[in-house]
Amino acid sequence: MTAIVETRDLTRRFGSNLALDHLNLTIPEGAIFGFIGPNGAGKTTTMRILTTLLAPSAGEARVAGVSVVSDPRAVRRLVGFMPDFFGVYDNMKSWEYLDFFGRAYGIPAQRRQQLIGELLELVDLGHKRDDLVMSLSRGMKQRLSLARAMMHDPQLLILDEPASGLDPRARIELRELLKELRALGKTIMISSHILTELAEMCTHIGIIERGKLLAAGEVQQILRSMRPHRIVEIRIVSGAAHAEAMLRTHPDVLELRREGARETEEHEAEPLDDATGPHTLLADFAGDEHALGELLAALVTAGVRISHFAEQSGDLEDIFLHVTKGIV
Amino acid sequence: MPELNPILIKDLRSRMRGARAYILLTIYLTILAGVTLLLYVAIAGSVGNDLNAGREIGRALFFTIATVALIEVCLITPVLTSGSVAGEKERQTYDLLVASLLTPWQIVWGKLASSLAFALLLIIAVVPVMSLAFLFGGVGLTEVLIAIVGLVTTAILYATIGLFWSALMRSSLGATSFAIGTVIVILLGIPFLIVIVTLILGPSAPSSLLDSLWFIYVSRLFIALHPFIALGTTASQLSRGESPFFEIVQTSATNVVVPSPWLLYAIFSLIATAILLALSVRLIHPVRPESARGRRTRPQDRQDASEERVSKR
Repeated sequence: MTAIVETRDLTRRFGSNLALDHLNLTIPEGAIFGFIGPNGAGKTTTMRILTTLLAPSAGEARVAGVSVVSDPRAVRRLVGFMPDFFGVYDNMKSWEYLDFFGRAYGIPAQRRQQLIGELLELVDLGHKRDDLVMSLSRGMKQRLSLARAMMHDPQLLILDEPASGLDPRARIELRELLKELRALGKTIMISSHILTELAEMCTHIGIIERGKLLAAGEVQQILRSMRPHRIVEIRIVSGAAHAEAMLRTHPDVLELRREGARETEEHEAEPLDDATGPHTLLADFAGDEHALGELLAALVTAGVRISHFAEQSGDLEDIFLHVTKGIV
Repeated sequence: MPELNPILIKDLRSRMRGARAYILLTIYLTILAGVTLLLYVAIAGSVGNDLNAGREIGRALFFTIATVALIEVCLITPVLTSGSVAGEKERQTYDLLVASLLTPWQIVWGKLASSLAFALLLIIAVVPVMSLAFLFGGVGLTEVLIAIVGLVTTAILYATIGLFWSALMRSSLGATSFAIGTVIVILLGIPFLIVIVTLILGPSAPSSLLDSLWFIYVSRLFIALHPFIALGTTASQLSRGESPFFEIVQTSATNVVVPSPWLLYAIFSLIATAILLALSVRLIHPVRPESARGRRTRPQDRQDASEERVSKR
């Protein structure tokens, strides 16, 4: 896959404040790239540089191979930008709003009329065509803003905190819309400080803090690399005490916890009693898939009755906390 | 056919929609018509039944209407434009404009043209009231044409003053205050300086100074910076039967030919407009790589930094 966004040692200072510190970022074409970081980490600064609204202090940023510094006009053609606020014009109808930006991007009159209809349908605002922009709900404004960013058919969509302030329904609609856009072949860069917003829709993520990129890549790859061992969740109906003893001595099990138990209590805990109900154990397992199968077979052969045996899937939140640990 | 400037279309659409434009036009014409009526009542009572009464009423009406229209243009046009670019910044649509394929010149020109279109509407709306003066006679075509040139150049210059402040400031309120401030400085500051200089020179000013070429030109140029003085002087010259294009100043040694004040005013307005437009275009440029490479913090950077803080909140 070719890279649509590439930054090399991208640095931006505001006076003495270093907003971006030698940022090296690559976003492959067709990705939904989630840009995660706490407030003030440099997400907006990066996005403003990529939309040519801000000049870098040093380093380089390219969109589809075009430098944002030497040819900003060409970059503007390639990028559709949706800022974290929605600018409202007084006394303007939805179609006029899109028509204005269509003109601003030099789209011919005939194509523009057709496009306005298509885009309003795409963002599900066809019925609001003649309504004043001011009268739309926040979620509708957000979708109209997305249609505006799409007017000139950009390859890259940069969305700064698009879901902030939206109610759950509007969020889901936005997520579905982004999936549709990806299917249309757009690359989407989306920033947020709320991880769960991004977790479900991104193919790639980048974690930024204090202007430095801490981790970036495919979501699955990052999940794996950040977690060298897996956590296996085992729910035991009978034979729990025996199972616990087996697991404790197993060479691949690095750590064993009882679910719900606090660490201080753990060592003093009584052997598990089957009568007190099914117990759940969490094992940090260092072995591979094969070893995991062996473990399950050994437990079953030893007469342990298991109702649930599964690997816990890590989520972005864990990774984020892991990566940014100690720096905040 | 090339399309019209997008900003012009957008701004005209939103400016002319709703009651605001009509209310402003109505207030403007009401003031003008009210002043005309009062003046007519006042003069008609005092001139009696002389043969020249009609001509006098006609002239008085014409000059009063032209003056009131000029005052209104001086005050309304800078307010129309001062909200234009700063208003985009306040509505947070400025970034969207700058990130589009619109050039800074298109933005500036669209904003100016949409405000001027409205200002021209105000000027054209005066014509029927002004034409009342023709019923009485006493006013020539030259006077009318010069008055219209004066009104139009003033509208353009004062609109550009508002636009310049709008491009510089973050808020419409700040831009409007500075624009009105600039207008007040021009309209009151110049007469004040003229009075001061006259007082300093006094009746005992040496004729060598008063007759020197540079004094004649500098004083005429200075007078021509002020729309009311420039147009008023031209009107009195026309009433004395002088040429509408130049004035002959008699000194003890020779006669000096000076362009008419209205002509100087029009030329000065065009030059000032061009300079202010160029400055506004520069202010709207979003990214200037050369200056960004410089290590000094530009005002734009500080704005960006504060924006950054705001957006992170």
